[in-house]
Amino acid sequence: MSLKIITDPDKPTTLALEGRLDTHTAPELEQALDRMLMSAGIRRLVFDLGKLEYLSSAGVRCFVRARKILEPVGGKIAIVNPQPAVQKVLDIVKAIPAGGVFKSVAELDAYLDEMQRKVREGE
Amino acid sequence: MQAFRTVRGRLLFWVLAVTVPIYAAALYMSYQATAERLEAGAARDADELAARLAADIDTVIRPIEGGIRTVAHQLEEVNPPPEQYALRIHGILNAWPEVYGSTIAAEARAFAPYYYRRAGLIAYADLASASYGYATLPWYRRAADTLQPVWSAPYFDAGGGETWMITYSVPFFRAGREGKRELAGVVTADLALDWVRSSAARVRLPPFTAGWLASPPSAHDFITPIGNADVRGAAAVRPAAEDMLSKGRTFGFVREEANGEASYLAVRNLQTLQWRLMLVMSRSQLLAEARAVLRRQLWLGAAGLVLLVAAISFVATGVSRPIRRLADAVGGAKDGDLDFPLPQARRDETGVLTAALARLRDSLKQHVQLRAASIAAESRLEHELQIAASIQQSMLPRRAANPLPPGVEVAAALIPARRVGGDLYDYFTLRDGRLLFAIGDVSDKGIPAALFMARVSGLIRVLGSAGEPPEKILAELNEKLAEGNEACMFVTVGCGTLDAADGRLRYASAGHDAPLLRRPDGSVTELPTDNGPAIGIEAHVEYVATETRLASGETLVLFTDGVTEATARDGAALGVDRLGKLLGQAGAERLVQGVLAALNDGMTGYHVDDDLTLMAISRTQPPQRHCFEPDLANDGVRQALAWLRGVLATHVDAARITDAELIAEELLTNLARVARERGPVRVSMECALAAAEILLVFRDDAAPFDPLAQAAPRLTDDIHARSVGGLGIHLVREIANDVRYTRERGENVLEVRLNRKTEEA
Repeated sequence: MSLKIITDPDKPTTLALEGRLDTHTAPELEQALDRMLMSAGIRRLVFDLGKLEYLSSAGVRCFVRARKILEPVGGKIAIVNPQPAVQKVLDIVKAIPAGGVFKSVAELDAYLDEMQRKVREGE
Repeated sequence: MQAFRTVRGRLLFWVLAVTVPIYAAALYMSYQATAERLEAGAARDADELAARLAADIDTVIRPIEGGIRTVAHQLEEVNPPPEQYALRIHGILNAWPEVYGSTIAAEARAFAPYYYRRAGLIAYADLASASYGYATLPWYRRAADTLQPVWSAPYFDAGGGETWMITYSVPFFRAGREGKRELAGVVTADLALDWVRSSAARVRLPPFTAGWLASPPSAHDFITPIGNADVRGAAAVRPAAEDMLSKGRTFGFVREEANGEASYLAVRNLQTLQWRLMLVMSRSQLLAEARAVLRRQLWLGAAGLVLLVAAISFVATGVSRPIRRLADAVGGAKDGDLDFPLPQARRDETGVLTAALARLRDSLKQHVQLRAASIAAESRLEHELQIAASIQQSMLPRRAANPLPPGVEVAAALIPARRVGGDLYDYFTLRDGRLLFAIGDVSDKGIPAALFMARVSGLIRVLGSAGEPPEKILAELNEKLAEGNEACMFVTVGCGTLDAADGRLRYASAGHDAPLLRRPDGSVTELPTDNGPAIGIEAHVEYVATETRLASGETLVLFTDGVTEATARDGAALGVDRLGKLLGQAGAERLVQGVLAALNDGMTGYHVDDDLTLMAISRTQPPQRHCFEPDLANDGVRQALAWLRGVLATHVDAARITDAELIAEELLTNLARVARERGPVRVSMECALAAAEILLVFRDDAAPFDPLAQAAPRLTDDIHARSVGGLGIHLVREIANDVRYTRERGENVLEVRLNRKTEEA
C-alpha cells in the first residue's frame, strides 16, 4: 500500500490510499494516523480511496479508530470516492456513518463549502 | 339554437311556422275585401251624388229648355213683328226666375232687344248696337250655323250681367220663298250660374271627400266646388278626370303631388250640359276603416298567438318536465349507485317510461348484486389459486436446501399453463450419494391436474427416499395411483438415478418422452429407454430400467410435452428434433435458460398452451481440490492469499476473487492471532472450484471455536458504543453464500461457499 498525505491550508487533511489495505498494511496506516492525530490538532480527516483496491476488516478498524479519536473532540472523518469492492465492505460493517461517504472530491468540496458557510453565518 | 333542442322549442317553432303565415294570409285577404267593399261603396256614393246633382240641375234646366224652344216655336208659327219681341222676352223672364236675361235676335236685320234683371227690376239693353255686334258672337253664331238649340260654354258676362253665365240659344225659322224654312232669328235665355253654385254648395259630401262640378274644357272653365270643397283643389285632378273620361273609366286613383297621398277619383258625366262631376276621396281616409278593422284583427290575432304560445308551452312543459326529471333522476345515479328514486309515475307515456326505467333499475341492481357476489367468489377462488400456485412451487426442489452430489449440476424450470399445473419434477441426493431425479406430466391441466401432481410428487419423494430403484418406484407409484382412480387420471413419469462418481445412469420410464442426451461436442441423441405404460391406468405393471453411463460433460435433458408441443408461428410444433437444436449451451443452467429464451423470443417465439417442464442434469468434471498449508507464524496469511489468487485467477471474475481473498484474510488473521496468543496452530486450507460455486474449507487444530456462534458486532453510528473488533467474521458471513462450521476429528472445520457469480443486488 502506498500512502500519501496531502495538506492544503484551505482544506482538511487528506490521506490518499492506494493499493491494498489489509492485515499487513493496516499497521502502517495506523501508525501514520497516530502520528498525525496526536501531534497536529487535526479535526477533519479525509480518506481518498479512489485508488484503494482492497479493504479488509483490519483496514476498517483504522477508520473506526480514527473516528474514536476524532469524534469525541468534535472532529469528523470523511471517505471519498470508494471503489465498488471497498464500498461493499464499508456497507457491510457500516464503519462510516451515512453522510460521511462521498462519491467524489467535488461532492465533498461542495459539502465542506456548505459547512463553512454555516459556520460563518454563526449556526 | 339551444331552444330548438327542447320539445317546447320545436313545438313552438313548427306550430307558429304553420299558423302565422295562414293568419297573415287571412288578414291580408280580409283587409283586401274590406278595402274593395269600401271602394265599391265610394264609387256607388259618387254615382248617387252625380245622379242627384244632375237631377237638381235638370229640374232647373229642362223646363227652361222646353220653354225657350216653345217660344221659338211660337215665333215661327205666329211670326210676330219684332216690336212684339219685348213682350215675349218679358214672358220668359217672368216664367223662370233662374233666367237672368233674354233676347230675341233677328236674322234679317240688326234687331235684338235684351232684357235682364238688375237690382230686382228688369233692365233693357240693345244688343244690336254697333259696339256689340251680336251676329258674330258665339251665342248667336253657333245656333244660327247649326240651326239647333245649343248651350254655350260658361262665360263671365262682363258689361252685361257681371256674373258667370251660360246661354241657351234656340234658332227660330219662318217660311221663306219657295216654301223653304229659313232662319228668322235666335231666342236666347241667359242663366246665371249662381244657382248652380249654391245648389252644388248645398250638397252634403261624404266624409273625406271633395267634389267639383266642372264644365267641359273650354277657354273659360267654370268650376264650382261641391259641398264645402276648396275650389283650388280641382285644378289638380282635372287632367286626370278628363283622361279617365276619355277612356270611359269612372273610378281610379290620383296621387296628389303635394304630399304624395293617393286618392280615389270618381268622375261622372252629367246628362245635361255635358258637365263633369269630380269626386276625390282620400284613400288613406277611405281605407281608415279597413285599417281599423285590420288593426283590431291584428290585436286579436296577436292575443290569439300569445295564448297559443302559452298553451303550447304549457303542454310541452308538461311533456318535457317529467322526462327531464326522469333524466335527472337517472343521471344522478353516480358510481353505480342504483338506489336513486324515480319520480311519481304519471298516467301518460312518461309514466310508462318511468315504470320501464324502474324495472330496468331494479333488474340492473339485482344484476349488480349478483355480479358483486360472483366477483367476490371469483376473487376468493383467485386468492386460493394464488396460494395453491405458491404451494405447488414450494413442492419443487430448491437448490439451497438440497445439496447436490459433487460433479453434478441440475437446473430445471416449470411453467404452468394456468395458475397451477400438472407437471412435476424432483431431484435429491440419496443417502448413498446418488442423485435421484424424476419428471412427470399429469394428463389434463389446471386444478385437477395440480391435485394429482401433488400426490405423485409426494409419493415419489417417499418412494425415492426409501432407496428403491427407479423401476420399482414407478411400479409402486402405479400400484398406489391405479387403485381407486375414479377420475381416471394418469401421469407419465420418467425417473432415474445418477451416480456422480462414475456416471452410472439408471432410468425407467412410464409412458414419458425419452430424455435427450447432449454430448460435450453439442451432438444430441435420444436416451434409449424401455418405455412402460403411463401410471394410473392399470394395476400391476412391471417397469424395466435401462442402464447407461453419463460421461463427464454430458447433459441429460428431460422435458414434458409442453416443450415439444410448443407451436411456432407457422403452426408447426417444436418437436424433439428442433428441441435438440436448441440445446446449444453446455452446462445445465445455461442450457435450460437457453431453451426458455428461445421459446420466449419475440421474433421466433413459440406459443405454449400446456404445462411446460424442462430439467437438465449435467455431469461436470469433479471439482479439483487445491490445498495449501500456510505457516501462520511466518507470513502465512500473505502467502495463503497469494496462493488463493493464483488458484482462482482466470476462473473467477476479479470481484469474486477479492471476496474470496477477504474471507480468507479475515479467517486466517483470526487464526494467526490465536496462534500468537496461545501457541502454534496447524492450519490447512482447501479451495474447490465447482461449476457454480467456490468452496473454501479451513481446518485448524486449535481449541474448539465456532465463529458463527459469536454475537454480531454492534454496528451503530455511535462511535462510543461501537466495537472495534468482530468485524472480520461479520464480513465473512455477509459476503459468503453459505458458511458451515463442524468439529471433525479434533479439528475446527469451516466450509465457506461462494457463488461464482455475484448476485446483482
